[in-house]
Amino acid sequence: MRPRSVHPLAWWIWALALATAALRTTDPLLLALLIAVAWLVVAARRSNAPWARSFGSFLRFGVAIIVVRIALQMLFGERLPGHVLFTLPHYAMPSWAAGVTLGGTVTTESVVAAFNEGLQLATLIACVGAANSLASPYRLLRVVPSVLYELGVVVTVALSFAPQTVVAAAGIRDARRLRGRPHRGLRGLRGLAVPVLEGALERSLDLAASMDSRGYGRRGDLTDRRRRAGQTATLLGTLAIIVGVFGVLDSGAPFVLGLPMLGVGAALLVASLRAAKSSSTRSRYRPDPWGLPEWLTVGAGVSALVSLVAAGHLGIDGLHPDYSPLVAPALPLLPAIGILAAAVPAFASPRPPVETT
Amino acid sequence: MTALASGQIRFHWRSSSLLAATSIAGIAAFTWPLFTRPRGSENLAHSGDAPWVFIVLVPLLVAILLSELADGALDAKAVAMLGVLVACGAVLRAPTTGVTGFTGVFFLLIPGGRVFGRGFGFVQGALTMFASALLTGGVGPWLPFQMLCTAWVGFFAGCLPRAQGRSELALLATYGAIAGLVYGLVMDMWFWPFGTSGTQLHFVAGAAITENLRRFWAFHLASALGFDLPRAAGNALLVLVAGTPVLAALRRAARRAAFGAPVHFEPHGP
Repeated sequence: MRPRSVHPLAWWIWALALATAALRTTDPLLLALLIAVAWLVVAARRSNAPWARSFGSFLRFGVAIIVVRIALQMLFGERLPGHVLFTLPHYAMPSWAAGVTLGGTVTTESVVAAFNEGLQLATLIACVGAANSLASPYRLLRVVPSVLYELGVVVTVALSFAPQTVVAAAGIRDARRLRGRPHRGLRGLRGLAVPVLEGALERSLDLAASMDSRGYGRRGDLTDRRRRAGQTATLLGTLAIIVGVFGVLDSGAPFVLGLPMLGVGAALLVASLRAAKSSSTRSRYRPDPWGLPEWLTVGAGVSALVSLVAAGHLGIDGLHPDYSPLVAPALPLLPAIGILAAAVPAFASPRPPVETT
Repeated sequence: MTALASGQIRFHWRSSSLLAATSIAGIAAFTWPLFTRPRGSENLAHSGDAPWVFIVLVPLLVAILLSELADGALDAKAVAMLGVLVACGAVLRAPTTGVTGFTGVFFLLIPGGRVFGRGFGFVQGALTMFASALLTGGVGPWLPFQMLCTAWVGFFAGCLPRAQGRSELALLATYGAIAGLVYGLVMDMWFWPFGTSGTQLHFVAGAAITENLRRFWAFHLASALGFDLPRAAGNALLVLVAGTPVLAALRRAARRAAFGAPVHFEPHGP
């Protein structure tokens, strides 16, 4: 297969499907399998761009979450009966700290439960981290819907300015050092911030002039009336969604205010977005293709999610292990196969192109 | 100074009402654990879904609000200015996302909102978080909430009362410290339902607000106050040290960009 980058949206859908799958189970074996699959695909298909290295920091963050979760459980956990591991000294906090009691007996059950829940969050974070390392943010920006075009331009400008800013800061710092001016600490920061900012603002005016001279800001031939109709639909849709959320969360509210309201709001918003899109006259430069590898990637992610949802509905044991009595975690077959299928992109998607910069 | 304070991104009634609606939804998205009421099993199931509903909903709302604010209000100068300030903010954040909780994001955001107005501050805050997440590979479900929070910081920086000289610096430094604390409090509120089930710190659906607030306060003390104090102190210190020249630089740029200048096209004479 010719090397090319897979569409960033395909990676994000794959990763979010895996993350949603992780929400359906607290079985440590399945969760570990999910992390392993994400890790495998990242190792096989990440590029050598700077963002591709972020997976490791997401994993470390996940480990930190598990540790904090267990520590919180030991210090503040509800004291439930079970196999006592050890007993922490007991201490009642003063009233300004909410009168919580610290310490007490720590049971195996509570530690295992805290570990499993921490692992679930860590899996979620690992899946998101996989998407961060696999999908190029620059390509992702190019699929921003045309309604957000102006903001997409701002972020593109920012992303291309950021490396220049770092270079400029290093240059100014060197110059200050050579002149014997303070270049460290707070005084150094002050001497650094102002020239960097002045230079950046200067460049921004140059950029604005060149954008103006190239015709930036041309608006489509949308009539005022259609524009206003679209904006009113946006506003009404937002209001409907807000009412809908409150309706869903408050069981005392009438049913009409819940899911139906959410549906109406979503429909209005989609309609206004489509209206804005159809009136846009902008074309895309070399759009990323969406072909077989993209469908495979999305399908692989969705297979994991579907297998877990199906297992939940079929009532397969082992998705949520029992803590009383404590049993060894099981590896349910159907979800395991579904999750393994999510590793397909590690072999079936094209390799990323080698960047020569 | 007054001419500049009027700002580049203006609010008309539609964007103001959209901002109000989004903020109400945003407040709900952060504080819903305080208000859930258990009435039958159905609500219990939904209170489990609530964080995920908001994780889908909030990015949608933020996107709509930003597009509405930017609709026709951003000319090339504003786009370039925003882009540059967002880039600087994102670069400032990159080395400071570490364990101390101190972050350089607010350092440019507060003067930016102050000089260019609350609409600009709102957009600047949201986009700074977005761009820095793209740069450092930190995109995730938490990103829209961080964007909304930071956008509020920029928005209120643009709403601060008039002041000059030292009193302005003191005002901005105080605001930076408070914003650092409140930012931590609000983001903690967001994370609260996820990491604490089965402990005394978790919220109890249907308990009195005071009881849940007490539990939240304990969680906040236990988990994050150590991050918030350095952030608040760092914000104040940065504004005190470098606030004056940064404000001056931004005001000079705003004057040179002449945002308020009306543009006339006149037919070319024969």
